[in-house]
Amino acid sequence: MKKYFPSKRDLRLKGLRLLMSDDWKEEVSKCSKCGKCHTVCPVFLETHDESSVARGRISLAEALRDQQIVYTGKLRDYVYTCKKCMRCSKVCPSDVEYEKIISALLHGVAENMGIPLLPKIIFRYILPRRILFDTLLKVSSKLQRFIPMKKRGQMRHLPLLFMGKRWIPTLAKKSALQKFRKTKKIKNPRMRVGFFTGCLINYIYVDVAEAVIEVLNKMDIEVVVPQRQLCCGTPSSTMGDVKSSKRLAEENRKVFESLELDAIVSACATCTKSIKKDYLRTLGPSWKHMSDKIYDISEFIDTFIGDMPGVKPLEEKVTYHDPCHLAWVRNISEEPRSVLKKSSRFVEMDKADGCCGGGGIFTIIHYDLTLKMLERKVDSIERSGAATVATNCPGCVMQIADGLASKNSQIKTTHSIQILQEALRESETKR
Amino acid sequence: MKLFKRKTREEALGRKGVSELVRLLGKDKVLTEIEDRLCYSYDGTKQKALPDIVIRPKTTSDVSATLKVADKQRIPVYSRGAGTGLSGGAVPLHGGIIFDLKGMNKIVNICPEDFTATVEPGVVTKHLQDEVTRHGLFYPPDPSSAAFSTIGGNVAECAGGITGLKYGVTRDYILAMEIVLPDGSVINTGRKTLRSVTGYDLTRLFVGSEGTLGIFTKITVKLIPKPERVDTLAAFFGERDDAIDAADLVVENTIVPRTLEFMDHMTISAVRGFGGITLDDNVKALLLIDIDGTGENIKHDLSIVERVCKEKNALKVKVAETEKERNAIWSVRRSISPALYNIANHKINEDVCVPRSKIKELLQKVDKINEKQEVYVASFGHIGDGNIHVNIMYTDEPGQGEIAERVVQSVMEEVVTLGGTISGEHGIGNKKSQFMELEISPQELSIMKKFKDFFDPKGIMNPGKLFPST
Ligand SMILES: Cc1cc2nc3c(=O)[nH]c(=O)nc-3n(C[C@H](O)[C@H](O)[C@H](O)COP(=O)(O)OP(=O)(O)OC[C@H]3O[C@@H](n4cnc5c(N)ncnc54)[C@H](O)[C@@H]3O)c2cc1C
Repeated sequence: MKKYFPSKRDLRLKGLRLLMSDDWKEEVSKCSKCGKCHTVCPVFLETHDESSVARGRISLAEALRDQQIVYTGKLRDYVYTCKKCMRCSKVCPSDVEYEKIISALLHGVAENMGIPLLPKIIFRYILPRRILFDTLLKVSSKLQRFIPMKKRGQMRHLPLLFMGKRWIPTLAKKSALQKFRKTKKIKNPRMRVGFFTGCLINYIYVDVAEAVIEVLNKMDIEVVVPQRQLCCGTPSSTMGDVKSSKRLAEENRKVFESLELDAIVSACATCTKSIKKDYLRTLGPSWKHMSDKIYDISEFIDTFIGDMPGVKPLEEKVTYHDPCHLAWVRNISEEPRSVLKKSSRFVEMDKADGCCGGGGIFTIIHYDLTLKMLERKVDSIERSGAATVATNCPGCVMQIADGLASKNSQIKTTHSIQILQEALRESETKR
Repeated sequence: MKLFKRKTREEALGRKGVSELVRLLGKDKVLTEIEDRLCYSYDGTKQKALPDIVIRPKTTSDVSATLKVADKQRIPVYSRGAGTGLSGGAVPLHGGIIFDLKGMNKIVNICPEDFTATVEPGVVTKHLQDEVTRHGLFYPPDPSSAAFSTIGGNVAECAGGITGLKYGVTRDYILAMEIVLPDGSVINTGRKTLRSVTGYDLTRLFVGSEGTLGIFTKITVKLIPKPERVDTLAAFFGERDDAIDAADLVVENTIVPRTLEFMDHMTISAVRGFGGITLDDNVKALLLIDIDGTGENIKHDLSIVERVCKEKNALKVKVAETEKERNAIWSVRRSISPALYNIANHKINEDVCVPRSKIKELLQKVDKINEKQEVYVASFGHIGDGNIHVNIMYTDEPGQGEIAERVVQSVMEEVVTLGGTISGEHGIGNKKSQFMELEISPQELSIMKKFKDFFDPKGIMNPGKLFPST
């Protein structure tokens, strides 16, 4: 098995010194070993290997709990093979909260085997410091001009250059936070909402941020973009760095609690899941009053705006891809479709809720599996006959755009809010 | 608790043996690390025993080559499909080699003209069902685990499922097989024809053999034309006996439903809330009925079923209006088995089967056995063919385990007295082997043992299963 990250020693036993609560230990016993998670796990459906599905990992967690095994390189590989899409929990008849178990495993791996140096520096020293982060990325955005082989606004992902054929978009010159520093005042606003940008939208997909603000403003909603908000913490928690995630969560809590907001919206499925659900675990029940106010952008529009009589749907055929963290974790799949149906000629694709393969370190470690999943997704999109595929997660946008670009497909990838933005603009000019 | 030993390769097979397997199959197909062995140590019974080596074969010759090595060194071997079995069949009780057959998952061919399909054993049942549907065909055996269990496992357990009353069980659809015997030799049983009576029916001997006689590497199944449509009806009853009477009356009216399922009060409480299904507390029993065929006959049959249920005091009868509603109802049914753990964390699942006319009597006897309600008993299942799953649920409290065992013993005795069988579809494995002698006489048992000895003289194939330990 290939080694992906340097580890000090392959095998280091520190016992189970866990920062986190021990609730995962009971959770493990709830698994009845029925195997139903086989039916949905995107990784298992590719590998057919029991070590890459929840039931297998739960049995490993069980053995760790009972101190029958220790953390090893192999165990770490198996833990990192999880995409954390949480489909398994959704279908589990025994109600196992797999998230508790996988988080504990990731944390255990980090505690016992260390976090690789580079991510550690990023999580501990860069993510919590907005200005430093900004500067570093600004330098990169200048440097990227020298990177060869740009293609349709996408560039090769640096660490993956040698693997060839990986297209990610270029960094924006000015981040969303900088660009929308000033809140556009709305006279007698219907509501005042805070916008949680998330890193991808902040640094890469600034146009999505623009769409969110423009659309909401047109609906008489004032949008505040709190300047001191930080990364939601998902990247660090996926690497088991509980400490960093907690620190980020606490900072974000300070920022958002200090403002008087009717709601908080995010256009990133993963960020929404993180701040709405994961924070309840990291910050405790006192986050509940805030958590209740957090919405995905489509969810927000469908709930509070509903009908949009002034909007004429675009002629364009648009299909929708369900991000795992929205459809499977939060059951939000009707809302984005309902908004899209009002703003375009909506067509459904088959397996719309199948994973696109994107997401965090999984794509780096298991690039081959990522590609297989992506291929299935691209096929579904092409079969749908749509001219554009929309979704509600910048991570999925990046992944799908990569897949379509490498196939030289003419199909465009976009965030679903940008479809509504365009429909609104067109309806206005026609009026 | 002790740390698992990391190096058991030497003990299991000797370093030479492992390197021979690696040489024969390639490194990727031979797993010996503790993490992998743990992932193949259990099945749906929650039992756990560590194999020493996991083999992930891709072809018949991989299986055969491995068995030759195992045979030479007398190493126990086990087949594992998806590990969803409910009698412990795939648990490697005595260590040794376990085959993960999930990787042999190709549909070799579907012959719509011949009404047959040939598949590798690791094909998931639902995948086969879906693929043949495209040709307008139907593979009826439909265990609740169809979406994740394998055809190989279905054949080895002779899985039943919800379509049994009208369409029979797995056994009725297996025409021919390619089988690797414990010594590594490969045989072919049956023919890929809809009928064949040439010689003894070896295929039938292997169906339900629980991985104790040979490993199936190709399976040819019979297909039938797909019914035009299926409609689902749910009937809610305030009394258990009313539900049972209604089920009888349906069949007496010469209606043979595609499925006829029953859930008792305890079962209903376990799945309440699952899949957003709400049920009043006064519902004490439930019948789920599928009728298939053409639009015309379904309408006719449904109206009779509805009338019959109302005659038997059904509180409510509901026909699923949409495909979505239908799926919701059946997904609740499929979730029962694991959801029962919501009642208590230990379960003994007995899939007993009695002659259809004895169901009411059986359930009364079970009530009597658990009169003091020392443990929880949830009964549900295929009432149409008398195959009722009696689940004894108990907690960690001291003494509970013994009480549960006692209840099980009495239930088994009653079942046999009523002319029933101790396993209708899950198989014997190690979970039920101690009850074999209740049902099978010494002479029959000795015939079975002779078969076993004939095919597996060294006793390396799935040791500890099927036969009572002596
Ligand atoms: C939620 C749930 C619902 C279920 N519902 C039903 C139901 O309605 N009806 C029913 O009958 N069962 C049911 N089962 C039980 C189980 O799914 C079946 O017994 C199924 O056939 C097992 O298939 P598997 O692939 O998981 O086999 P495994 O559990 O892996 O193995 C079962 C047995 O088959 C042997 N075996 C596997 N593959 C081969 C092969 N290729 N050659 C030789 N031997 C082999 C194994 O050695 C073992 O003895 C259910 C289980 C669960 C968890």
